[in-house]
Amino acid sequence: MSDRIFGGIGLILALFYGWQAAIIQESFLTDTVGPKMFPFIIAAMMGLSSVYFLLKPDPEPHWPRAGRLAEIGLAALVLAAYAELLPVAGFLISTAIAAAYLTWRLGSGLIESLIIGVGTSVGIYVIFRLVLGLSLARGPFGF
Amino acid sequence: MELLSSLADGFAVALTWQNIGLALLGCFLGTIMGALPGLGPSNGVAILIPLAFTLGLGATPSLILLTSVYYGAMYGGRISSILLNIPGDEPAMMTCLDGYPMAQQGRAGEALALSGVASFVGAFFATWGLVFLAPQLVKVALLFGPAEYFALFALAFATLGGISSTNQAKSAFAAALGLGLAMIGVDTQTGVPRFTFGEVHLYDGIDFLVAIVGLFALSEVFIFLEHRGTDRDISDKPRMKIGKIIPSWKLIRYCTPTMLRTTGLGFLAGVLPGAGASLGSFISYSMEKRLVDRKGTFGKGDPRGVAAPEAGNNAAAGGALVPMLALGVPGSGTTAVLLAVLLALNITPGPLLFSQNPDVVWGLIAALFIGNIMLLAMNIPMVGLFTRVLMVPPRILMPIVAMVSFVGIYGISGSSFDLLVMVGFGVMGWVLRKLDVPLVPVILGTLLGNEMEVNFRRAVNISNGDYWTLVGSPLAITLWAIAIAGFVLPILVGGVIRKRMRMPKDNEGAVTD
Amino acid sequence: MRFSITGRGLLAAAALLLTPMAASAQDFTPENPECIAPANPGGGWDFTCRQVGKSLQDLDIIPSTMQVVNLSGGGGGVAFAEVVNKRNDDNDLIVAASSATATRLAQNAYPGNTMDQVRWLGAIGADYGVIAVAADSEIDTLPALMDQIKADPSAISIGGGSAVGGWDHLKVLIAAQKAGIEDVRQVKYIAFAGGGEAVTQLLAGSLQAFTGDLSEAKGFVDSGDIKVIAVLAPERLEGEFSEFQTAKEQGIDAIGANWRGFYAPGGMSDDAYDYWVKAIGTLYASDEWKAIMEANGLAPLDLQGEAFQSFVSDSVQEITDLSKEIGILQ
Repeated sequence: MSDRIFGGIGLILALFYGWQAAIIQESFLTDTVGPKMFPFIIAAMMGLSSVYFLLKPDPEPHWPRAGRLAEIGLAALVLAAYAELLPVAGFLISTAIAAAYLTWRLGSGLIESLIIGVGTSVGIYVIFRLVLGLSLARGPFGF
Repeated sequence: MELLSSLADGFAVALTWQNIGLALLGCFLGTIMGALPGLGPSNGVAILIPLAFTLGLGATPSLILLTSVYYGAMYGGRISSILLNIPGDEPAMMTCLDGYPMAQQGRAGEALALSGVASFVGAFFATWGLVFLAPQLVKVALLFGPAEYFALFALAFATLGGISSTNQAKSAFAAALGLGLAMIGVDTQTGVPRFTFGEVHLYDGIDFLVAIVGLFALSEVFIFLEHRGTDRDISDKPRMKIGKIIPSWKLIRYCTPTMLRTTGLGFLAGVLPGAGASLGSFISYSMEKRLVDRKGTFGKGDPRGVAAPEAGNNAAAGGALVPMLALGVPGSGTTAVLLAVLLALNITPGPLLFSQNPDVVWGLIAALFIGNIMLLAMNIPMVGLFTRVLMVPPRILMPIVAMVSFVGIYGISGSSFDLLVMVGFGVMGWVLRKLDVPLVPVILGTLLGNEMEVNFRRAVNISNGDYWTLVGSPLAITLWAIAIAGFVLPILVGGVIRKRMRMPKDNEGAVTD
Repeated sequence: MRFSITGRGLLAAAALLLTPMAASAQDFTPENPECIAPANPGGGWDFTCRQVGKSLQDLDIIPSTMQVVNLSGGGGGVAFAEVVNKRNDDNDLIVAASSATATRLAQNAYPGNTMDQVRWLGAIGADYGVIAVAADSEIDTLPALMDQIKADPSAISIGGGSAVGGWDHLKVLIAAQKAGIEDVRQVKYIAFAGGGEAVTQLLAGSLQAFTGDLSEAKGFVDSGDIKVIAVLAPERLEGEFSEFQTAKEQGIDAIGANWRGFYAPGGMSDDAYDYWVKAIGTLYASDEWKAIMEANGLAPLDLQGEAFQSFVSDSVQEITDLSKEIGILQ
């Protein structure tokens, strides 16, 4: 069943891709092949393989229970929030929070997670900012 | 031999305490940066440019430092591939395929040591190739016009069918996905944006490093989250045994033919500008699999599957220096950065570099030999140290890996948007892994998609719309013949013969179109 | 105070026409000087930031180390938007720019942004455009090349290191226009990822001509593999490049310089603006910088402050007109 759903999504994706390719705004200055042909080929390839999944699905993979799916979704959200928080709160604080959260969700105790989170953050900061001189996000406090 | 005396002069340049120290530093830092996901060789070199500037180094010492980082990173990428199933950089992607299974079988130490030896073999002979063949090889690069490049990339995609022995349609889908992602951004041949949805961050396209780190590293984190607390929970105990840390002579001898073949192949791939180390390791693996994998052990922890891509990508790294030095054309992302450094140091790479700046060229080549030996000497004893990583419980290790990946990307591009895209790739990678869709074709598609399309269009454009130009030279025809006879036909014909197996679909042909 | 103007030709004329700026620029000193390179490390903008930052510090023009921040994306558009939207009042900030920045501004490739939203500080040099052919080509002059294009546009493929509509492409179109080719869209341009790749394909015989920067062509000219048929400078260059004919002296009045310079946030205070203009002027006048320019194959382009502002403005206008004409811009 999963493969059928996947095939369906793949087909929609291929159609969407093809549609997006079709509406590429061509300039007056186009080459012989044009910017659309390759995307069309790709959409066709994607579509054909999706049809194949629809017709001949593989055995069902082992999906986690709903709770676990939520866990993964939440982790993705936390990481996305981390990406947004970085330029606002600065590197050290955001990284400590994100690392602590992941450590906690992977099964460490709460206090332990906090310590590991801060340790990870400071460790990375020392290596990448102070030793290698990379420009990491600077928050309101300059780190 | 005039060449050998030049080389001896080079050693005289390179063998100062300062230069040896720089080579050692570069090798060490390079290995670490290569091993960290999110920091590949090109970023590793770029990050250290300011250091070279700050130290006020001259041309030769700067180059020695930076090329040591380059070679070091090529060595280092394999470490996280083998231990964590996360490629440290894009050429090390193929090392995951057999390296990680070896580690799971308790042979992590052996895999690391063997790949170290393979890296050495690849880099060592490639450096000799640089010494003797650079002027001749430049002519090889000139044989490749747009049509030939297109055929070469088509060959690379044709070999995909040989890599994942599972559902071929899924490989095709994955390749289409990767190619599709590569199309995002401003089209260089017409200047129009494609699939950007008006988002300025997408105008430059998606950085493949973002894709690779998301697909491999973050999806690995998600997999750990998924399995925590279940019967497959492995997050709280050391994951696997390390095994012996010195490979037996028997094993090395067993892999020697593989290493030598893939060294040659990787070196050639490196010489071609635009192909680079990733193509080198990829083609090495897939060709070797086609050639020697009779029992279907590739992908399940075959040591030759570890030796092949490592010898291939390190040889390609050496090969990529040929067009950089002799033509001033970067063969890979890293050599593009090195080239910029050369220019900043008042050295014009190009046909006259060997005669105008012999001290720089031969000093550099000598430093490559020295660095390479250092790397071997450093990497074999350090296998024991690297494998300690596996002693760290994954519940602590995985967040660190994730955070380092974020830092690597953010420190280079300074863009939160890239990080969001990376998280998206992480989720996508997890779903694809669940559905048994191989990730390698996705990365290959994003890496080569643009070059493939652009060369196709250049070729047709130059010939004013005549598509026959794509098979217009003996070299192009040869490449197509290898692609079709070597990889596409076996899949189609094999499918007909072994009907009881899942029949691979015809659209494998579409991959090569 | 101003520093000696050594820029030449049109550029110098443009600079001289403008009033010198006010002299009281000493009230400001940056605490944390920062340079944004709108690309990944290792690229041209990154080097602009790093080399200028290092030289400014070495010459004690700025009090502390210049922090270089890479902010890539959108061909510089991400950094431009960031400066306009989030750091408009930052007095410590300068941003690396080049002809590519002007080209993209002119072609609306930074959606919603225009060149007036920032203050342009000054240039640090220019790389003049060249048009070259393979050494064994029958074509020896720019008019000869243009005549062939007129006769049969499909027979001549010209390669360059920028995308279609990018600076390398526009240079050859400017030349074609001045040579009297009516529909410049017929000129067959093949885009490559860099000048070096295009030269390689010229040598491989896939292309008939190359358009790029002098620094990209230099190595191959020295080795005798390619010959420069025109340099797009207002007058002959100095030193080893003096043998190259300009397009102008061949009767095709085309000039194309790939300049490098800086802009600053639009809300920067006048004191800070004057400080940075002066800093770049002092740097430009120094012997150290002359050596770096020579090492990098940069030709003089001495424009700071208002003069630079109007120079950029003019070139944006010129590119806009050309882009409209060829249909890149509607």
